[in-house]
Amino acid sequence: MNVFLGELPDRLAAEYVLGTLSGGARRRFDALLPAHPALREAVAGWEKRLLPMALKAEPVQPPAHVWSAIEGKLGWTPPAKASSLRLRFWQAFATLATVAAVVLGTSLRPGPTGAPMIVVLHATQGSETLVAGLSPDRRQLSIQPLQKVALTPDRSLELWALKKDGPPASLGLIAADKLTAVNQRALPKDTKGLAVSLEPLGGSPTGAPTGPVLFVGELTL
Amino acid sequence: MTAPALKSADELETRLADWLARCALGDRQAFRQLYEATSARLLGVIAQLVGRGALAEDLLQDVYVRIWKAAGQYRAGAGSPMAWMAATARYRAIDHLRSRGARPEVAIADLPAHAGSEDGDDDPTHRMPDPGPGPARRFEARSEAEAVQGCLGTLQGSQQQSLSLAYYQGLSHGEIAAHLGAPLGSVKTWVRRGLIALKACLESCGWSGAAS
Repeated sequence: MNVFLGELPDRLAAEYVLGTLSGGARRRFDALLPAHPALREAVAGWEKRLLPMALKAEPVQPPAHVWSAIEGKLGWTPPAKASSLRLRFWQAFATLATVAAVVLGTSLRPGPTGAPMIVVLHATQGSETLVAGLSPDRRQLSIQPLQKVALTPDRSLELWALKKDGPPASLGLIAADKLTAVNQRALPKDTKGLAVSLEPLGGSPTGAPTGPVLFVGELTL
Repeated sequence: MTAPALKSADELETRLADWLARCALGDRQAFRQLYEATSARLLGVIAQLVGRGALAEDLLQDVYVRIWKAAGQYRAGAGSPMAWMAATARYRAIDHLRSRGARPEVAIADLPAHAGSEDGDDDPTHRMPDPGPGPARRFEARSEAEAVQGCLGTLQGSQQQSLSLAYYQGLSHGEIAAHLGAPLGSVKTWVRRGLIALKACLESCGWSGAAS
């Protein structure tokens, strides 16, 4: 099926929006959408055309618990405010423990001694936090978001070592929703902090941060 | 922020686009505002297809989770934010209707033998002339909603019925065929030609619906 010939894309888009494109055809169309701007444009056109019909429906005010349920599904603060601080503490504690365990676990070889260093990276805007653990020999680095970082599919998070002198050094890409064990030889010696920037999918094309810096944390010795 | 001369619908769209852009950056406050401004309308869209109550509310939750996660995609897609969100709500409700057991699909075996054609090209109605919106059927539309309503009124009865059943009831081709007691191939043709005629009519009265 070549969706790029003639009026077929528009026809498929129309039936997709109407809902009569169903089953396997609907799933295939869904799968094609992200990579085909022309299809997306056709869909947006039909959504705009058919919107007045959809919005003629009488509004129905949702009960308050719907919002709480949405927050729950997104893994945000629980409905009861009083417990949210305590929960955050335990979330943070659990994450720190995980990060420390990973760092310690991978550094239980002869040589490095001492406790891992914990670096907390705060959001430059907003309240999200990332926690990083660094082994005493500075060769093992793990990092984990406390809350899932909202990220569009065409973007990546890149971790940087901020040095006393010179440009930031890339430490690679990190996951937005789970622990990343950073694969690197060693942290540059004069590293004074860590930062996470928003980059195009796959990481900065230039070797230097190109997007906004989302998180920053200092290494305190 | 916006000029007071703006129509309130435009103003709302501008705000929605702004909130969506902030959602894409992880701004929960913006998400809450977006929810407050749109949830009743989206629940209305869903309830139209699945009825009011707990099920519609569950689907609404899914819709907002999707909107939060896909807010960045909206920016790439352009078009009207309200249309995009209403469509997201519709798609969730339709997915539910199509999911197994939600509503029995019409068995193909129950349909007339000649109804099995994939796209209805062998159906006699396909070769019938399409009256389309002639000059006598032109009308003045003051809003897009009026234009769509007016254009729907210009469609052939069977096209209009098929589109309405698909749109307002969320029926599939097979379900429309069963409902109208018509061959599946004819229904597919009516839907397709109804959409083409609707688009032509909207364009002829200046509501192209093209993504801006």
